[in-house]
Amino acid sequence: MIDFDPSTFGLAHTYQKEDKDEINTLKMPSAPQVIYRTLNGPTQTNGGNKLNNFKHGTTTLGFVFKEGILLAVDSRASMGSFLSSEQVRKVIEINEYLLGTMAGGAADCQYWLAYLANHCRTYELKNGSKLSVAAASKFLQGILIGYKNSGLSMGCMIAGSDLSGQHLYYIDNDGMRLKGDIFSVGSGSTYAYGVLDNHYRYEMSLNEAVELGIRAIYHATHRDTASGGVVRVYHIHQNGWTKVHDGIDVVDLHYQFAQQKGLVGDGDEAKQRLF
Amino acid sequence: MSGIFEYNGGSIVGMKGKNCIAMACDRRFGQQMSTITTNYQKVFKIQDNILLALSGLNTDIHTFYALMEKEINLYNLKENRKMKPTTFANLVASALYERRFGPFFVTPIVAGLENGKPILATYDSIGCKSDLDDFQVGGTGGNYIYGACEAFFKPDMNPEELEEVIGQSLVSGCDRDALSGWGGVVYVLTEQKLTVKILKTKQT
Repeated sequence: MIDFDPSTFGLAHTYQKEDKDEINTLKMPSAPQVIYRTLNGPTQTNGGNKLNNFKHGTTTLGFVFKEGILLAVDSRASMGSFLSSEQVRKVIEINEYLLGTMAGGAADCQYWLAYLANHCRTYELKNGSKLSVAAASKFLQGILIGYKNSGLSMGCMIAGSDLSGQHLYYIDNDGMRLKGDIFSVGSGSTYAYGVLDNHYRYEMSLNEAVELGIRAIYHATHRDTASGGVVRVYHIHQNGWTKVHDGIDVVDLHYQFAQQKGLVGDGDEAKQRLF
Repeated sequence: MSGIFEYNGGSIVGMKGKNCIAMACDRRFGQQMSTITTNYQKVFKIQDNILLALSGLNTDIHTFYALMEKEINLYNLKENRKMKPTTFANLVASALYERRFGPFFVTPIVAGLENGKPILATYDSIGCKSDLDDFQVGGTGGNYIYGACEAFFKPDMNPEELEEVIGQSLVSGCDRDALSGWGGVVYVLTEQKLTVKILKTKQT
């Protein structure tokens, strides 16, 4: 399973004439080795209270419809109650036909999805055809099962297009791999599911799907403190993926949706006492 | 996020100007990471020339305000006169210390005008009064608001400038705090009038 020699930690090699038996490509740092395993079950984070576990502070969603797959994500990163960034990119472009979403530990998601990208390219070169979405997601699942209980935090969706169509998988650090039509991951997922489940139809057009994705993320950012920033939307179709929206500010969306309902959006419709 | 003061979230700020005072607060009422409403009142008009802002656990905000309202009403009935802001500031300190071993989980700010002179006092949750500063903050977003206050504040501002500065400080501060925001209200008190303005802020 491991393509790289564990002893070449962090070293870059170029092709040497003497090494004619093996082609040394630029070696990535080798995958981290777990030194010990906890014997007592999953590592506790933040006192074990899942609602306070800010590592999953995010809202990402994806759903399959007749024109392919739509992915929509927010862009907030928080450390406890401090907002460290409102401009994070939570959709990782693995290659031209595969996308991954980030939820949980940013470092974990970035590293392992880049590792997956490397593996996909190597497979393509060795076998002459692209790796299927099912195989790519299974490869990632295999890695995460190997690191089970060691404290990785990832709740990502792998979405892509291959010869058999467009497919959406949910992978998490427990080693779960689920194929499905609708997923939402992160602390704001409950709010997003409410909106998504209400208006989802397989026969939606692309515009309707984009509108639904944006609305669901907006509602999650309004209610969930750990989600916010901007909405980024990607569409996966038979020719790969397209970035539909690079960043729509959810603040603008709030006042836009309020206006559509004939309201002002300042929370004062009930004319609450002010002083 | 795990303390009792962080359960509901919220931020308040008070500032002194030239013969005027200003208070600002956010409008969020939440339970940990979930936002329940966006119109919760955190600044109360105790008297025509006294404002009380409270941050902390929302149930105690409401209870402590009701207690102060009761005290000032009884004072008016017994003494047949208005309460001075400095007297009210002392009353808040005593009322908090009365509950020394089972405190209200609030951090109040009192602001008022006594004969035209601005008064600003802040307390910890058990009644230590501090009234020497020109601006004070409270709540989960307090530290972020401090930064903005230090940058924008200058002494002896007129009411319009003060309103602008306090509004900007509140909004900038709350934008970095996950538990505060969802609207803002600015109160500016002068000898003649109390102006209340609702700020259009991020609703996220």
